[in-house]
Amino acid sequence: MVEIRIHGRGGQGGVTLAKLLATSRFLKGQSVQAFGLYAAERSGAPVQAYCRFDDEEITNRNLIYEPDHVVVLDPTLVGPAILGGLKAGGWILLNTIATPESLSAEFPENRVATVDATAIARGHGLGTRSVPIVNTALAGAVAKLLDLPLEEILAALDHLGFGGGNVDAARDAYRLVAEHGPQREAGSRDGDARPGAIGRGPSFLAGAGGDLPGIKTGQWANEQPKRQQYVPPCNHVCPAGNDVQGFLHALAEHRVDDALEILLRTSPFPATCGRVCPAPCMASCNRIQLDGAVNVRELERYAGDKGEVKLVPAERREERVAVVGSGPAGLAAAYHLALYGYGVTLYEAGSELGGLLRTGIPEFRLPAAVLDRELDRVLDLGVEAVTGVFINRERLLELARNHDAVLVATGLQELRALRLGVGEVEMVSQGIDFLDQVRSGVPIRVDGEDVVVVGGGNTAMDAARTALRLGAASVRVVYRRTRKEMPAIAEEIEEALEEGVEIDFLTQPVAVQRMAQADGDTGEQHLACRRMELGEPDSSGRRRPVEVPDSEFSLPCHRVILALGQSPDLSVFPEGTEVREGAELLGLLETPVYAVGDLATNDGTVAAALGSGRRVAMHIHQTLTGEVVVSGEQTRVRSDVDVWHDEVIRDEALRMHLFERRPVESGEVIGLERRHTTFDEIHAGLPSAGEAKRCLSCGVCNECDICVTYCPEGVLKRVGHDLVFDYGYCKGCGICVTECPRNVVFMSHL
Amino acid sequence: MPVEVVTGNHAAGYALAVAGEANRFGRGAACGIYPITPQTEIVERVAAFPFTKGRVVPVESEHSAMGVSIGASLTGARAFTASSSNGLAYMVENIMTAGFYRLPIVMVAVNRTLGPPWNIWADQGDSLMLRDFPWVQLYCANNQEVADLTILAFRLAEDHRILLPTLVCLDAFIISHTQGETDLPEQEAVDRYLPPLDLPHRMRHDDPKTLGGLIWPDVTTSLRMEIHEAMQRVPEVYDECREAFREVFGREPGAALDAYETTDADTVLVASATVATTAREVVKRRRAAGEKIGLVKMRMFRPFPEAALREACASATRIGVLDRDYAAGLGGVWWQDSRAAFQGHRDDVILQDYLVGIGGGDVTPETVDRVLEDLAGRDRAGGPVWADVGNGKGGGA
Repeated sequence: MVEIRIHGRGGQGGVTLAKLLATSRFLKGQSVQAFGLYAAERSGAPVQAYCRFDDEEITNRNLIYEPDHVVVLDPTLVGPAILGGLKAGGWILLNTIATPESLSAEFPENRVATVDATAIARGHGLGTRSVPIVNTALAGAVAKLLDLPLEEILAALDHLGFGGGNVDAARDAYRLVAEHGPQREAGSRDGDARPGAIGRGPSFLAGAGGDLPGIKTGQWANEQPKRQQYVPPCNHVCPAGNDVQGFLHALAEHRVDDALEILLRTSPFPATCGRVCPAPCMASCNRIQLDGAVNVRELERYAGDKGEVKLVPAERREERVAVVGSGPAGLAAAYHLALYGYGVTLYEAGSELGGLLRTGIPEFRLPAAVLDRELDRVLDLGVEAVTGVFINRERLLELARNHDAVLVATGLQELRALRLGVGEVEMVSQGIDFLDQVRSGVPIRVDGEDVVVVGGGNTAMDAARTALRLGAASVRVVYRRTRKEMPAIAEEIEEALEEGVEIDFLTQPVAVQRMAQADGDTGEQHLACRRMELGEPDSSGRRRPVEVPDSEFSLPCHRVILALGQSPDLSVFPEGTEVREGAELLGLLETPVYAVGDLATNDGTVAAALGSGRRVAMHIHQTLTGEVVVSGEQTRVRSDVDVWHDEVIRDEALRMHLFERRPVESGEVIGLERRHTTFDEIHAGLPSAGEAKRCLSCGVCNECDICVTYCPEGVLKRVGHDLVFDYGYCKGCGICVTECPRNVVFMSHL
Repeated sequence: MPVEVVTGNHAAGYALAVAGEANRFGRGAACGIYPITPQTEIVERVAAFPFTKGRVVPVESEHSAMGVSIGASLTGARAFTASSSNGLAYMVENIMTAGFYRLPIVMVAVNRTLGPPWNIWADQGDSLMLRDFPWVQLYCANNQEVADLTILAFRLAEDHRILLPTLVCLDAFIISHTQGETDLPEQEAVDRYLPPLDLPHRMRHDDPKTLGGLIWPDVTTSLRMEIHEAMQRVPEVYDECREAFREVFGREPGAALDAYETTDADTVLVASATVATTAREVVKRRRAAGEKIGLVKMRMFRPFPEAALREACASATRIGVLDRDYAAGLGGVWWQDSRAAFQGHRDDVILQDYLVGIGGGDVTPETVDRVLEDLAGRDRAGGPVWADVGNGKGGGA
């Protein structure tokens, strides 16, 4: 009797190899057996198959413990187990690219034969590239080693209906198999696998909790669920670097202070941004595809207004940093540096802190009390503020000598003007100045006037709405592009229109005109304008407005307010200095000097200025201490995640059908009457944080535990913030994956 | 005739199908089927067979699978099915019904361990639990016996002197999934061996009646007696079926039991199925070494061939029964019936029970050697010995 044991992996065709060998002997009139050792196989698991043949009838029904020969289908299975019980003088056939000589040290007592059955199988297109079916090739090699004529194995292939590449593979392997004789006499073999008496196992009652040894369901699985995390789009786009998903999650769980704490990691001004941010997070919100973006802006305001957090700065350090300019960028830098423990002095040319937040945003959008509260948060950290001091180039050099680092955050001080000819001195003013005067209490009234505001940004909207509140008969905004190109926050444009502001798009003012009157020069005033159309895109990517010939017309006008944008005042720096974020300026000095905020980036939003201030503060800390600073973005993994993706998750990767529709909550808005006559804040804010529950938590586990609920095997548990899978019993059904609305649980192939 | 290298499941599925097809000249073939490891390949093969006349009905449970087969058989169709382990347990009510209805249904049972805890390997506890029902039970030791006894079972069951359902059993994996050379009889020969089923009490639309209504104790008693008398006729009819088989197919299936080297044996092992063929290797080796040792390989379990067993063991004073099964509170089922066979006939025998290969454990020649060692050293029989477990003395003494 000849007995052959075959070691392979589930799916490789080991049992079929046994059957091929058995069939070839059966066709020569022998008695045969071919069988597998069946258990909890899954594809890829190590498995065994057996073949025996004899001239006499075979009555033995055992497994094969002392094989005459061994065949190994997969080179990664080579190890002591494959030698168990192998008889002296038996051969071992390995599917490998190695030569038998190179393996003879490993198997000194046996004939070693090798053939690259994988390459042969692939060459004949057997199986797939990743799982080539090697059994027919190995059948050819075995035939050669058994000194059988090739025809006998080909007959077996034919008998079992194997044709084409299988026949060629067997033929190739028969030719290519290489052999090397044993290096020494066979001694007694360790690890004879023949079973003796078994020991008593554990009691059923002792193991009634499911701990009995044996085969667990999980061993059948081909796939296992795991946990991953993506970057939600809101977090990705936030210019301030806020963990938007994180604070919304805290709010949804009624943890208002935690929400504020999360926001304060990246920004000192949640209550401010919650009022004035253009909220790119909302524009990128995946919930738009369902029923509208989550109202992140109002929720940030909610956290900023209602939350209470006591900030504790790090231990006070010796280094001192000067910050020039107390707008959002300078304040953010001062805030973060103070949290790191630096002594910070803030220099402000004006009489009050806040920069554009104070001077450029009217009370009805950002009440001074809100700003003051957030400023106190910065000052409470020990930041020293010096107001009424303008820092020119000389003073900047002095600061550099007296500090370990200097930041310049002077923003955009140069206002763009427009030449409108005669009369402009009396009639034309700058929007920024207009807003600052009104805010600071200069008694300006525009009762009965027709006011024209030129521009399309938030300053234009704020100036127009302020003019309306000061008694204007009419307020028109003229803008040379279209609504689509307007940089103002969409909601603010809507609110301005609600209040009665009119907007003339594709309109360019040309000159102020005074109609000559018979009785003198106090005639009616007009603003001559031209119609525009959009041409080719300019350097900003927006389509350049082009005049329409002969399109002049005039608008009645008593006052023109310009809001055309600003540019940086670089006179403080030496000629030719390259001003950009993170670049050290005035390289001649040992002290690093940095530009931050709009001065460096020209991004033009509070959120971008906050982000810039924070990044440069981190950079300074890193430069001064050599410590590697981990930014907020990298600390957002709250618990164990198997795979962390840097990509942003889009709506198509979410299971949108699993989310319930729920209308957006916007909060109350005061009546138009009050909006026309007072500077009261027009938004009352959200009455509760319920809106936060609309957050889809895209690609980030928010512990909804739907997966735990639906797991039919009960093998998925929530332990703290972790999801714990009991892979011993997880059959890999994937229900947790199909029920996870936010693509956190995914199936991983085994 | 085509000899092929096939699995035991292949042989069983093929045999059921050709036997059913042979009734195409009668009222056709019909059965309900339901899968369970390790017999699923059998019903798959049946389902794939292109029956000329008849129908294979996939149902939602083993209970219904037998239900469909009962209904089909009652109308005169040749009915059959296959199951295993807990599937048989779930089928029990209808298994009993088929027997009391005296329907010649043939079922293949792949012997698999009952659970929980779950175990898919060989153990005869599942079919042996049906021992008190009116079913003939036959046990196979190789693929050829699976094919032959399955076909023979129809002729036996359908014989008017018998009219009892018949169970053909084979070991999980050791036979069901093992490839071996097997002569698969051709349809034409099977047609000759199995004439169309003629069920005397079949349902007819032109003669409506109720089967299985309420009866009195006296009628019940007489129906049980009829069953008993039919059971008593089984050995004789079985031998006739073997003889007829040889005439058609040229080979003869084994008798109710095979006595191997028992003539002068002082020690005899009693075993069934694949455990018996492995034990025969040991007996052969020990005989060659001069020991007076023999083997009785049991093929028929119901009716239990008591007289033949006593006869085969006539010279033996030590008998070891190998049971791959366990009846709770007593021991091996084969041992219980073997012991009863000697009751009142012999009192000079040490008849000892050995539980081997429980839950599919590999029964090796070494296992059998350990059994023989224990048996030789005994001065009296005791409770069942768990022969695979070190010092596995059971309860009782």
